[in-house]
Amino acid sequence: MLKAIWDNIKGLYSLLVGLSITGRYLVSPRKTIHYPRQVVDDEILASFRGPLELTRGRKEPGQTRCISCQMCVRACPGHCLTVIKGDAKAPSRWIYDFSLCCLCGACVEACPAGALAFSHKVYLVATSREELKLDLLADLKARTEKEAPPKNE
Amino acid sequence: MDLSLAIFVQIIVAVLLIIGLMVGNAVVMVYMERKVAGFIQRRPGPYEVGPWGTLQAVCDSMKLLAKQVFLPGNVDFILYYLAPILAFLPVLLLFLPVPFGPILTPLHINEGIVLILAFAGLGVLSNLLAGWSSNNKYSLLGAGRAVAQTVAYEIPMILALLAVVLQSGSMDLAKIVGQQGQYPWQWNIALQPLAFFIYLVSLVGETNRAPFDLPEAESELTAGFHTEYSGMGFALFFLSEYANMLLVSFVCASFFLGGYKGPFLDGIWWTFIKAYLIMFFIVWIRWTFPRVRFDQLLNINWKWLLPLGLLNLWLTAVLVKFLV
Repeated sequence: MLKAIWDNIKGLYSLLVGLSITGRYLVSPRKTIHYPRQVVDDEILASFRGPLELTRGRKEPGQTRCISCQMCVRACPGHCLTVIKGDAKAPSRWIYDFSLCCLCGACVEACPAGALAFSHKVYLVATSREELKLDLLADLKARTEKEAPPKNE
Repeated sequence: MDLSLAIFVQIIVAVLLIIGLMVGNAVVMVYMERKVAGFIQRRPGPYEVGPWGTLQAVCDSMKLLAKQVFLPGNVDFILYYLAPILAFLPVLLLFLPVPFGPILTPLHINEGIVLILAFAGLGVLSNLLAGWSSNNKYSLLGAGRAVAQTVAYEIPMILALLAVVLQSGSMDLAKIVGQQGQYPWQWNIALQPLAFFIYLVSLVGETNRAPFDLPEAESELTAGFHTEYSGMGFALFFLSEYANMLLVSFVCASFFLGGYKGPFLDGIWWTFIKAYLIMFFIVWIRWTFPRVRFDQLLNINWKWLLPLGLLNLWLTAVLVKFLV
């Protein structure tokens, strides 16, 4: 009986602890980033899993590692990948329909050559479905030209 | 005849000013509630409308005004439309005996606190009617909870106020404020800390605010007794909820915190500062504590607040009898 009463009085102290925690949060700075005026740091974006991109080749950074084996196309549950084989092993066209992609990562895991990875693109915007059909070979080429001299990974 | 006409005019002017106060209070409280909620959760709250989001409440009220008043099927439409009006109207009367400033009391009534407690009971009736007439299981459950809770929490509230009434020998709020001094140790809270605590807890229960917001518990009852209301019906419930909060804060300030009296200079500003500090406290605990279960809610009331209130009242009576 007395213990029950004492427990209840001790419970009041925990209420004060709760109030002090929210009170501290009330006066501490906000975490929100007001997007159009501020942007997130690149360090935080490193863990963001955005649309797919082709990784760079080990010997030639401008080339893809893709061997056109179609493993990713088979693994994809949304049927959003189209890989057309070129003359050699390397693909001639690599189309990725982001509007169908569920970002499950099955293609990344299925790829035997390690040619696929998630990019860190947060600000991808499109006004039609056609715009979301991304040509990843062109994307790789653009990235290579942008970051000349290319690094060897 | 002249006297009664003068009082009539006084009441009309006072009621008009009180409507202004209620609407202004709702605008301020909507902003404060959302801003405090945001800051406690470390986000900015309303930010985009006007400087620092200050015009957010205006946008919200415009939206409510322009919204379709939707009448669900199978409702008892007389009671359905009566309930929000019944929630709103008594609140106008409740502010009449509150002493806002040294000379600014809307109406001097000898038994002011009796008037407040009597008409505050009508608020429960409106909740019950709203829940009953909506013909909706969630509304009905919310209404049942509202009645059980408000009726229960009125008792410790009255006991806490009665201790102060016994001590000061008056039911007139202006006289109770007049007997307190300028500094915090001369206020009634120094003499009646237990009554203040009981009042503070039952005030949250009485206004149906979190953590005692069982009648409108969102996660259990969608929106409780006002689930079916849209547009102005909902706005009236909203307005009267905030007005009720303001009223209990004013009563708390007058009874325990010295009302318009304060350091440096007495005046209307002290009443408002104290009342809004209590409002801020209510908002703060809303965003801190989780909702209690219904049996816990009633246990707090019947097993703790009521015996403590009776004990406090008895002690006060004995002390007043033998010391004063």
